[in-house]
Amino acid sequence: MKKESGNRFIFPALLILFLVTVYPVFYVFYLSFHRRLLIFDISKFVGLDNYLFLLRDDRFWNALKNTVYFTSVSVSLELAIGLSIAVLLNRSFRFRGVTRAVVLIPWAVPTVVSARMWEWIYNTDFGILNYTLGAKINWLGSPFWAIHAAILMDVWKTTPFVAILLIAGLQVIPKELYMAAKVDGAGNWAIFRRITLPLLKPIILVVLLFRTLDAFRVFDAVYVLTGGGPANTTETLSIYAYKVLFQTLQFGYGSTLSVVVFLCIGSISVFYIKLLSKGIK
Amino acid sequence: MKSVLLLLCVFIVCCLPADKKDKFTVVVFKHGKIAGDPEPFRKLLKKFEDENPGIVIRDEMLPASTDEQHQFYVINLEGKSSDFDVLSMDVIWVHEFARAGWLRDLTHMLSGEDRNDFFPGPMQAVTYNNRVYAIPWYIDAGLLYYRKDLLEKYGFSPPVTWEELIRIAQYIISREPGLYGFIWQGKQYEGLVCNVLEYLWGNGGDILRDGKVVIYSDENIHALRFIRDLIIKYKVTPPLVTTAIEESTRHIFGNGRALFMRNWPYAWNIFEKEGSPVKGMVGVTLLPSFSKGPSASTLGGWQLGVNKYSKHPEEAEKLVEFFALPESQKILAITLGYKPARRSLYSDKELIKEQPFIAGLYDVFMNARPRPLTPYYMMITQVTQPEFSAALSGIKTPEESLKAAQRQIDYILAAER
Repeated sequence: MKKESGNRFIFPALLILFLVTVYPVFYVFYLSFHRRLLIFDISKFVGLDNYLFLLRDDRFWNALKNTVYFTSVSVSLELAIGLSIAVLLNRSFRFRGVTRAVVLIPWAVPTVVSARMWEWIYNTDFGILNYTLGAKINWLGSPFWAIHAAILMDVWKTTPFVAILLIAGLQVIPKELYMAAKVDGAGNWAIFRRITLPLLKPIILVVLLFRTLDAFRVFDAVYVLTGGGPANTTETLSIYAYKVLFQTLQFGYGSTLSVVVFLCIGSISVFYIKLLSKGIK
Repeated sequence: MKSVLLLLCVFIVCCLPADKKDKFTVVVFKHGKIAGDPEPFRKLLKKFEDENPGIVIRDEMLPASTDEQHQFYVINLEGKSSDFDVLSMDVIWVHEFARAGWLRDLTHMLSGEDRNDFFPGPMQAVTYNNRVYAIPWYIDAGLLYYRKDLLEKYGFSPPVTWEELIRIAQYIISREPGLYGFIWQGKQYEGLVCNVLEYLWGNGGDILRDGKVVIYSDENIHALRFIRDLIIKYKVTPPLVTTAIEESTRHIFGNGRALFMRNWPYAWNIFEKEGSPVKGMVGVTLLPSFSKGPSASTLGGWQLGVNKYSKHPEEAEKLVEFFALPESQKILAITLGYKPARRSLYSDKELIKEQPFIAGLYDVFMNARPRPLTPYYMMITQVTQPEFSAALSGIKTPEESLKAAQRQIDYILAAER
């Protein structure tokens, strides 16, 4: 009896969830098998045509390559730098509270605002980066630098997030372990490798999961910074899908791209969650 | 369950239209941000309301970026929205919207005399299958800005051909340290297509001709290579143009850091403002041409149309008609610097007295050409933007990039036919 009324209570929530998540996901799958240009009344089932075209679409492979590169480089840098910051901020020193708060500032700035800010920092002519370096580097306009400029911006913005999560993880590690290790005569490096890292592993995996998913779907930061240029060297999968869906209104092929992004993200999640459950055991 | 139903009822009641005006017809006018002081524009709307008792105008601003404006229209019109009656449209959208059946046929509004009075470029852009779907509101076109004082100092007159521009720029920048020669908009975005087309047309090339894709041609390869050479061979254009949009070039030129600039007419009023470092030192002229060809300039500007799903089409037409009047276009030209789409106003004495610069624009606007007129333009530009960008940044040769563009545009037009 009790259980039944409980089911009744969660029904509205389930219905809403179904309407706003499950239904759209299936609809996108459905659309991906169609050639659909609603505004010109073109709508027909084309089977796997969109997927076959995708295999031959250089622009898709280019976007996939950019996305993978962006994700792997930025996430590894964020983890490395974030871990160092976390270890530093976990020691006790004066103004620790203030320092921790200050470190969080980049994470608190809205993405579009920080992208605009970096656009000015990277400006060839007036930008503070070139001014500091005394150089005339065309950061956002040269095919080599643009993607790295985008990565640097992302690292600046999300390293604090990584650091804060890792600090939380560090604080859970019992102090006794460190004391015992010291008594046994372990050096700092040994302590870090044998105690800190293994005990931090679950939280590191959580951080990696969040960050990889976010970086793989990156849209707003890069779109505002470069718009995907020059020559699509910073066009990520999400940006390409957005352009196909909302600027050229090809709902069919755009959905195909979204499905591929969805599948990539799905497999990344499964991979990490498997690792996580192993780590916890 | 009951409370859910109750909530639902409250929600539905809230969604019902709150007030129904019986006496007035409300016409909703969607337009982009008004550049500068919005007061004169309000006054003009008030004037219309006074002349047309019974009609109330509600003007609603669109998002700032043109891409978002396009998206707004597409989503709402696809949903057959009647929430707005009059819409302002970029010159590249009219064919798409007309093909989609979202615009009211306005052919009956234009007399033969009117048709002659509007510039030919915008007239082509608003005509789809021989029917007129929008009325030109104000016009834009690419211009060459130059530093009068520097040209005089070194004894040059404004360049007529690209060869002259290169020669003058090389001569002067080697004597003026820190000065850029010739800047333009080279970021991967719609503005890049506007820039590149001017060279393609000037060299006798095009993207579409009689419905056929002709982008992969010797003329275009030559023109695209020339643009790249401005940066790497002649070194009159700094590499920073590959990130430049209108405003970034306007800042550089406006701070006296460049000799020549390609931009739209809007920059002129800013350069002539009190306190501008280049006040009185700027001249404008037609964009240069290749030695044998004509000068070509890309058409921009905005048009007014009536929503097919509008519930008050007659009243909406009246508003469009009002903004098409020479008097209205003249007021907006004087107060906001919007360049009239009507040719006759360029010999209007009062207007020339207020805006002396305007008389010189007549030839530029007569020369201005619309970007490829096809309902599929938005798809084509998604191909040309990255391909042109690839050629400029040296990732591909001009030949490779145009070949790739030809293949992709062919595919789009073939598949959607």
